[in-house]
Amino acid sequence: MAVAWSLRGAGSRRWLPWLLLAPVLVYLAIFYIAPLGIVVVASVTDPTPSFAHYRDFFTDGFYLQVLGRTFLTALIVTLGCLLLGYPLAYAMARRDDSLVLAMLTLVALSFWTSFLVRTYAWMVILGNRGPVTAAFRLIGWDPPPEILFTRFSSTLAMVHILLPFMVMALYSVMKKIEPALLKAAQNLGASPADTFRHVFFPLSAPGVVNGCTMVFILCLGFYVTPVLLGSPREQMLAGLIGHQIEELLDFGEASTMAVVLLLSTLGLVAIYNRFVGIDKLWG
Amino acid sequence: MRLRARLSMLDVTTWLILAFIAAPLLIVVPMSFSTAPSLEFPPPAWGIDYYRNFFHDPRWLQPTLNSFIIALGASILTMLLVVPAAFAMVRHRFFGRAMTNLLLLLPLTAPHIVIALGYYSYFGTMHLTQTHLGVILAHTCLSVPMVFLTLSAALKGFDRNLERAAANLGASPLRVFRHVTFPVLRPAFLVAALFAFVQSFDETVVALFISGRDAATLPRKFFDSMRTQADPGVAVVSTLLLAVVITAVVGSRLVRRRRMRLQRLGPGV
Repeated sequence: MAVAWSLRGAGSRRWLPWLLLAPVLVYLAIFYIAPLGIVVVASVTDPTPSFAHYRDFFTDGFYLQVLGRTFLTALIVTLGCLLLGYPLAYAMARRDDSLVLAMLTLVALSFWTSFLVRTYAWMVILGNRGPVTAAFRLIGWDPPPEILFTRFSSTLAMVHILLPFMVMALYSVMKKIEPALLKAAQNLGASPADTFRHVFFPLSAPGVVNGCTMVFILCLGFYVTPVLLGSPREQMLAGLIGHQIEELLDFGEASTMAVVLLLSTLGLVAIYNRFVGIDKLWG
Repeated sequence: MRLRARLSMLDVTTWLILAFIAAPLLIVVPMSFSTAPSLEFPPPAWGIDYYRNFFHDPRWLQPTLNSFIIALGASILTMLLVVPAAFAMVRHRFFGRAMTNLLLLLPLTAPHIVIALGYYSYFGTMHLTQTHLGVILAHTCLSVPMVFLTLSAALKGFDRNLERAAANLGASPLRVFRHVTFPVLRPAFLVAALFAFVQSFDETVVALFISGRDAATLPRKFFDSMRTQADPGVAVVSTLLLAVVITAVVGSRLVRRRRMRLQRLGPGV
């Protein structure tokens, strides 16, 4: 009986995985790849078959400016997350008490709290009647500077929203660093700064790469926060696509922007996949 | 001496960063107990009127209900599709596996606004915009990667000798799955389904463009309210969501700690 089963198992091995995969593959083909394909096709056929939209995109200063702003914002947010995330993850990885658990819980709380809720919180903090404006008034800066609905407010909120991704990516690598290696370096006469520079930091590099890749990619396509907190005149690519859908609906033009955004993201993922391996990104 | 100074500076930095993470989460709570009609902080006076209004306002309750229905539908559908796929991907080596892996992860990396644009046109021609079904179908795609990652991680850690033992004792493949594989993996299945539920419940961008008025989800209503006027319902929803997250995160940590303590005490307990 058992023998018969294992023999049958060996014979069916070739088609069994495809049978198990068929439902999800067919589903994704119909409900994910097809709508994605429509966007790609529309970018070169709507309203008439031509590459005119792409020519416009890459010659018109306006679109290039939006593209540049999108990449620059993603870069700033990534650096901001790294600047805040690295010391925090370092402190958590080097500690060994119950406080670490509380810190991890706080990071997890922020991670699981909806983007919208955190965006709303920043709207309150930076708003006209919020604590930051009140503080400016208190020190005699009246009228206080406009903070909300600027690139600064949306960038700050995005750093806050994406920071948990960075901290978790860094912490998961840092806590695996063998403490004996650091002790060995110090026993051999390395100063704490040298130990950090030559031992700890290189060992934490995979976490830095993971965290930065994740934050950069998420920020590149971020819609909600820049639209709600950012300057309406200085939209990012995703916001501009949304604006096209809502108000003007030039489907071909919107599709062209979407394809550029998609290819930028997938290009970065492909580079990461080539050098690190995609399965490590969420490891 | 110098070392201690550096350590304390690291401590101060750490606490400042933690405060930066925590403060925005906490500020939504007092906002929901305010009486001011606008985004005033600190609130001029305290009350629970916002909550009373929220629980009597169909413009908030209907989207909340819609979100629950859609998230439930999407998580069930995602599990049905991804459970067999995860078994295939973890337990079999076959031509095209790497490509399939990339495809299953694609919805996680492609920006939501891009696929939202696609759905806007595609579901429009299929008459699926402004329907619950349309949003469920879309959210299922977006949940596939997260569920796949969770399930395959659990499957990789599964000891297949348990199945071999059951099969050697004469159990059919179906009985092996029902009495051995499934019970062992049940916690991972539940976590994966929960991830799919949360992903759908929180998803904003796609819902914004395809759910319309009839199937409007809570995030869509939230987004609209935040953009148009300072609706106090936003503060109430924020506080309620935060309360759920705190309960879930802290609760799961306590359960894990208790389980670890029980394991340390031994099997007799």
